[in-house]
Amino acid sequence: MNRGIRAMTFLSFFIFGLLINLQFKGTIMAKPKNGTTAKELAEQLEHEKSENAKLMEQLANLEVERDMLWKNIGNTLNNQQINELLKKKDYEYFRAGLTSVSGSGIVITMEDAPAKGELDIEDYIIHDNNINDILDELKANGAQAISVNGERVVLNTRPVCAGPTIIVNGNRYPPPYIIQAIGDPDILYDAIENMPQVALMRLTNIRVDVEKQEEIIINKYRMYSALENSLKGLEVVK
Amino acid sequence: MKVFKTVSLTAVCLVMGIIVAWQYRSVKMNQVLAQYEKKSVSEIIEELLAEKNNNENLKQRLQELQREVDTFKSGEMDVKENIEALEQQVLAARIKAGLETVKGAGLIITIEAGGLKTVEDRHIEELINELKASDVQAISVNDERIVAMSEIRKAGDYIMVNGNQLVPPYTIKAIGHADNMERSLKLLGGVLEKFQIYEFKTSIKKEENIVIPAVREEYIKIDRLTPVQ
Repeated sequence: MNRGIRAMTFLSFFIFGLLINLQFKGTIMAKPKNGTTAKELAEQLEHEKSENAKLMEQLANLEVERDMLWKNIGNTLNNQQINELLKKKDYEYFRAGLTSVSGSGIVITMEDAPAKGELDIEDYIIHDNNINDILDELKANGAQAISVNGERVVLNTRPVCAGPTIIVNGNRYPPPYIIQAIGDPDILYDAIENMPQVALMRLTNIRVDVEKQEEIIINKYRMYSALENSLKGLEVVK
Repeated sequence: MKVFKTVSLTAVCLVMGIIVAWQYRSVKMNQVLAQYEKKSVSEIIEELLAEKNNNENLKQRLQELQREVDTFKSGEMDVKENIEALEQQVLAARIKAGLETVKGAGLIITIEAGGLKTVEDRHIEELINELKASDVQAISVNDERIVAMSEIRKAGDYIMVNGNQLVPPYTIKAIGHADNMERSLKLLGGVLEKFQIYEFKTSIKKEENIVIPAVREEYIKIDRLTPVQ
């Protein structure tokens, strides 16, 4: 009995010591690397990002509340005009890419080649053109909604590759690059699989996986301010 | 003695548990931060500023909405105001979708046939993608409005946009910040330089009042989409 306890104590202290050592090493090693500023900045950025997610959620809730209030007003006043306008608003938001949508289609997953071969390094990484060619091909084959790493493709969406990341609608994402498209899954699948650019990328081990899916959800276009603000330079001509 | 042993063993286990949890947390945080290791400080700063700007805008938007909700609740908003606000939102969404004819300042670019090769779909596509990179608000090719899901295809010697055949000269209209758009087109090794090598006859001019027509209603297809929420 005494032995058992002793063995246990020994074991736990052994692990304990190991852990302290590990933790200590980790703390010490982390400090000199890259200086503290980069890490601090990264931490700040993480903080802003979580703040951003929180604000987006609050905004979504408020929008729902406002629409509910609007519906109530329409109902209590029994105002046909308001009710019809509300329906119209939902429909136009839906058509403008300002509503999240679901449907069947394909998902394309892309990633740079795991290792460089004997060709030029440029041949092993994904470029802006590769992504834009795929988007153009999807559109040409009847895609009705597209997203890149969760960012809805609207008129002025133009993904830009920057180092090992991609910037879509002003937000930066690490690989893998994921393109979702709702449309006829067979047509979209064949179109992408038959692209010469895709065959070329695969030759140098760039990952391009194409998959048909029954249910894809594509996010609405994320707006950080009122819709009207993004249309300031435009005047409607009747 | 036995009591002492139990107490000490409990204490050790407790401390160990805390340490394991701590270690786990710090490993997780490091994993999150590890994605930034490949990035330079300036990149992180750039991203941080963008994110802060987004958050500022979001906060402002939240305030605006809160005010709207409050007016609703207080019942001070009259029916006429409600209808006007709703109509405005409907119109804004229609502009965003490209369903309204719009006017504004921007660039007009013309590309004529007769260079070393035919002007192809991909040339126009490349030019348009370049315009999209600066914050363009409306684009058309030979008065065919470009919308989010517009396609540009090859059709023999001509091109197809939104299912309509277009023939050269190609006139691309873009409403947006003219100087920014011009700059990104004229970049070294950019689209216009390529066009010069092909000897395409290209002209760019800035204009104050460019009119870009709406897309046909039936062109925006939604039969495969179901709204979520």
